[in-house]
Amino acid sequence: MAKVQQMPPSSVDTSSIYGGSSAKVREPIPKDFPVGMRVLVVDDDTICLRILERMLLECRYNVTTCNMAASALSILRESKGGFDVVISDVHMPDVDGLQLLELIGLEMDLPVIMMSADKRTSIVMQGIRHGACDYLIKPVRIEELKNIWQHVVRKKWQDNREAEHSDSFEDSDRRATNDAENNSSGNDATDNAIKSQKKRRDSKEDDEGELDNSDSSSKKPRVVWSVELHQQFVNAVYQLGINKAVPKRILDLMNVPGLTRENVASHLQKFRLYLKRLSVDQHHTGLPNSLSGVGSNAKVPFLGSLDFQPLTATGQIPPQTLASWQEELLGRPFGSFAMPAMDQPLLQQASMQGAKSVPVEHGIAFGQPLMKCPATMPTEFSQSNVAVRGLSSGFPTWSSSKVISASNLGGLSNDSNLQVPVLQQQQLHPVLSESHHAINVQPSCLVLPSQASNNFQERENPVLANQNSVVLPTQSSMSFQSGNNPTPMNQNSIIVPARSSTSMQADNNLGLTNQNSSLTSFQGGNNLGLINRNSITLPSQPLTSFQAGSSPAPISHSSSLKKSSRIVDYNLLSSNSSNVQLGEAQVSDEVFKNFTVLNSYSIPKSISSSVSSCTNVSMGWWAQTLGGNIGPVNQSCLMPSLSNIQGAGAMSQALPDQGQGKNLDLANLSNIRCGGTLSQILPDQGQGRSLGFIGKGTRIPSRFAVGDIESPTNGSSLNDNGEILNRGHLGFNGDV
Amino acid sequence: MAATALKEQLNGLVNSMFAEGLLDEQFQQLQMLQDGSNPGFVAEVVTLFCEDSERILADLTKLMDQAVVDYSKVDAYVHQLKGSSSSVGTQNVKLACIQFRQFCEENNQEGCMRALNVVKHEYYHLRSKFETMLQLENRIQAYETKQQN
Repeated sequence: MAKVQQMPPSSVDTSSIYGGSSAKVREPIPKDFPVGMRVLVVDDDTICLRILERMLLECRYNVTTCNMAASALSILRESKGGFDVVISDVHMPDVDGLQLLELIGLEMDLPVIMMSADKRTSIVMQGIRHGACDYLIKPVRIEELKNIWQHVVRKKWQDNREAEHSDSFEDSDRRATNDAENNSSGNDATDNAIKSQKKRRDSKEDDEGELDNSDSSSKKPRVVWSVELHQQFVNAVYQLGINKAVPKRILDLMNVPGLTRENVASHLQKFRLYLKRLSVDQHHTGLPNSLSGVGSNAKVPFLGSLDFQPLTATGQIPPQTLASWQEELLGRPFGSFAMPAMDQPLLQQASMQGAKSVPVEHGIAFGQPLMKCPATMPTEFSQSNVAVRGLSSGFPTWSSSKVISASNLGGLSNDSNLQVPVLQQQQLHPVLSESHHAINVQPSCLVLPSQASNNFQERENPVLANQNSVVLPTQSSMSFQSGNNPTPMNQNSIIVPARSSTSMQADNNLGLTNQNSSLTSFQGGNNLGLINRNSITLPSQPLTSFQAGSSPAPISHSSSLKKSSRIVDYNLLSSNSSNVQLGEAQVSDEVFKNFTVLNSYSIPKSISSSVSSCTNVSMGWWAQTLGGNIGPVNQSCLMPSLSNIQGAGAMSQALPDQGQGKNLDLANLSNIRCGGTLSQILPDQGQGRSLGFIGKGTRIPSRFAVGDIESPTNGSSLNDNGEILNRGHLGFNGDV
Repeated sequence: MAATALKEQLNGLVNSMFAEGLLDEQFQQLQMLQDGSNPGFVAEVVTLFCEDSERILADLTKLMDQAVVDYSKVDAYVHQLKGSSSSVGTQNVKLACIQFRQFCEENNQEGCMRALNVVKHEYYHLRSKFETMLQLENRIQAYETKQQN
């Protein structure tokens, strides 16, 4: 039940900072800001609390103090929108400050500043990974406090930008201009905002596929760039040549009634930016080549930057589609798997532990990462936005009525109670080019193959349930249940090949429950932490059951998919840096590695090759599947990246297609919150195999320490299967 | 007159504390936060600090007395004390805490015992000075209130 709120145009004009439609209506910044900025301080140390209070009052802020995290949370919940920024200590007896951070980020999407007497880099890193927008070392001086208002402003800007971008492009462009002009502080958050906006799909405003954005000038119907439409666009662009493609000619070529030149222009702009970003990332991939060839590269980037619009109405993946999709994935060289860089705002928030954001960030705020799984899918896409090509008509409808877009993680908070995860239909822009299809799975998209019965239930949770797109092959039944969890439940998309059934249960978890995976049944009861489940895509043998009992810590389970012995599953939970536990990775003979970290989902491919990349909140790495696909995706936010790799070496992850269809292009998802952002871009080596990340199941844990982002050795070969995957490189940055 | 003398005395005391390293710039920040509208701020903070520290020290003593020392708990307390002492600007105590934490990390029982003693020593030394300081402040306040009346 996302609230769709539309901001009247006038309000947009008045506040440049807060323009745009957003599910969360923000009040305009007061005139004498930062005076009167509402700060909530949380620290168990009474002395520090008193001193901070005094200092903040001296800065003329409005101060509320709290010495327990639990009471802080309840204060925040009771007065939504009543605070502008939160300052919290890291070490607290009742709830870990990082968890709180994520929760706040997820639920309330407020900027959170961490502080501690501990100034070790590792701790600071954790804080940042979990989404802190700043980190102060005690003793805090008043000068530092005088400047914290910048975080409030920056965040509002970013939110606006994202909102805008999720809206029609033109509007956002226009608004961006306005914002830029009005940005008196002149901070360069704008650039960051743009980037983060790209990376983070914060489609708070997109509720259920509705575009309720009010642009500054007039309301324009939003153009939904559906898969087919995008495909047409891309075709036109290629036909014209990327350098020569001008909106007018593209428009003519596309010949779509109702499409305006402006729509095309803005879409093209995004496309170009995306391509540019990809090309920068892949130095050795011939992007242009790929463009000409498959064009997948282009697509991939595009996907990343595209906002996925909610799945079309049906949101269903018809069985045939799915089947064909699988076939495509398996049989063809994979296109790049683009992982949209999603900011994971949410995830972070979610430090997810509880209701909100996961540490991470993962935020775990989840910025809704767009997941794109390029798959060589047949071109047709049915309405569903899931960029799963090859799906024949339509996607199965979601049983659940609500889709929560992952991107809404941050924004989800707008609904305190999500009944059912709302599947946000996001438009998937399939990166379709001849050779690859990108499957964009929006975090919120849930693509269920026919006969998938998804029961999403989210009861009484003020949590944001993000579901990353789940692509379920036929006969998959997913039932998600998250009851009473004050945390956002993120599910990374799960792609389950036929007969997979995933059932997730996250009850009463205070944290973020992430499930990536298909075919696994998760049960998390009363966990206070983040439960990460990595999903495992198992092509035909669903298995993995995660159970996170009442654990106060994040639990990551990694399920391993065993499929033709190539499954290695890694669970990497990085969301809670402190508590991330690596789940067990089971390595079967064949290596099939799925890593799903928080946000990662793997698309199981019937053929062993599928590899799903998971985005993990803090780390997303994907091992590749047989096909040597690697899809690492790391996103702090829940942005699962789907990479399906097919045996043939399809790559899931958006990789620029080197022509082989193996590309791993991992969009970086910046995670704001959760964990850090890991951006990985795997350049396609042009070999059929791209490696996203490799890790053997067992290794992964060691490799990825919580809070550490390690980029897997470049394309290390999958050891388990003895295959050497060529890896492009994974650009992981551990740094946020 | 008396007030002036008292003030001089107070300043002298505080300066000596700075010179000795008992206090650092953070304390100056606190002093700056005290003004007409918040006259007792420093006193308040100092009092809070003393109460808190004594509680922590008592807990620490108990923990260290056990046969098997739980270093993580000890560390948590020391960390807390370090945080508050640094926020108040009591430098020596803070430094002693840092040392203490080192020993905790090494699980060095003897080192921890010694470090705890150092912390206590520094704290009590500081406390006596603080007491003098507060007394002076109170008397100055009393004078000034009297003068206003």
